[in-house]
Amino acid sequence: MIKHLAVVLAIACSGIAECAEFEVGQVNKEFTVTELKVKVGDTVSFKNNDPFAHNIFSLSDAKSFDLGAYQFGQMRKVVFDNAGTVEVECALHPGMKMTISVTK
Amino acid sequence: MCTASGNEDDHIGNEVSAGAAYRSLRILAAATWALTGPATAADLTATEPSDATGRGSNVFQHYCAICHGTSADGDGRAAKLYDPRPANLKASRATDAYKELIIRRGGLHVGRSGFMPAWEQELTGMETRDVVAYLRSIVVK
Repeated sequence: MIKHLAVVLAIACSGIAECAEFEVGQVNKEFTVTELKVKVGDTVSFKNNDPFAHNIFSLSDAKSFDLGAYQFGQMRKVVFDNAGTVEVECALHPGMKMTISVTK
Repeated sequence: MCTASGNEDDHIGNEVSAGAAYRSLRILAAATWALTGPATAADLTATEPSDATGRGSNVFQHYCAICHGTSADGDGRAAKLYDPRPANLKASRATDAYKELIIRRGGLHVGRSGFMPAWEQELTGMETRDVVAYLRSIVVK
């Protein structure tokens, strides 16, 4: 299967530094990328491309979150504001995992 | 026999997934067990449980324990994310019908936490009833 590439959109943040935005899809109960490297302040958009709900969350110290359940076509965004390793999972599909490495 | 009634399976969704493969393996294991029987106690634990409570426990550990805890006491590893915390299911006084409804439709549907997702797209009808049977078995009276 050809993995979808993470789409990088460089946008200007309100501060001095430029922040990037990445898109990670959920397809066939998998993340379209399993490892992603971002900078502090970058945003990752999690887009559901499956015909059923996903519930993306993380328990990592660097960034913990729960995006709630959302359906096909919907997207949820997370700003990664601390350096560290973030393990991302899906509460509805225990096998779905990816890692985001956040650096300064 | 755990998987004899195929017409009880009202699975929603057309995805071909690891979950579907997992269920196929469970059905095969159950059929094998039914034909040959367990040789030892270890064989029983290694194959598909023949009762709803056993099957429901497996489903609960795979899908639910991350929030509700392996002991169903509300202390799963993800519980720290939520306020209110996931329910202590050992103390639940809810009816089986209520439990089945909240599992299928999620917390918001019954006026409770939206962090409890709706499982009807992921769990079959049989799996949901098995989980309810398991939850009934663990209530501390």
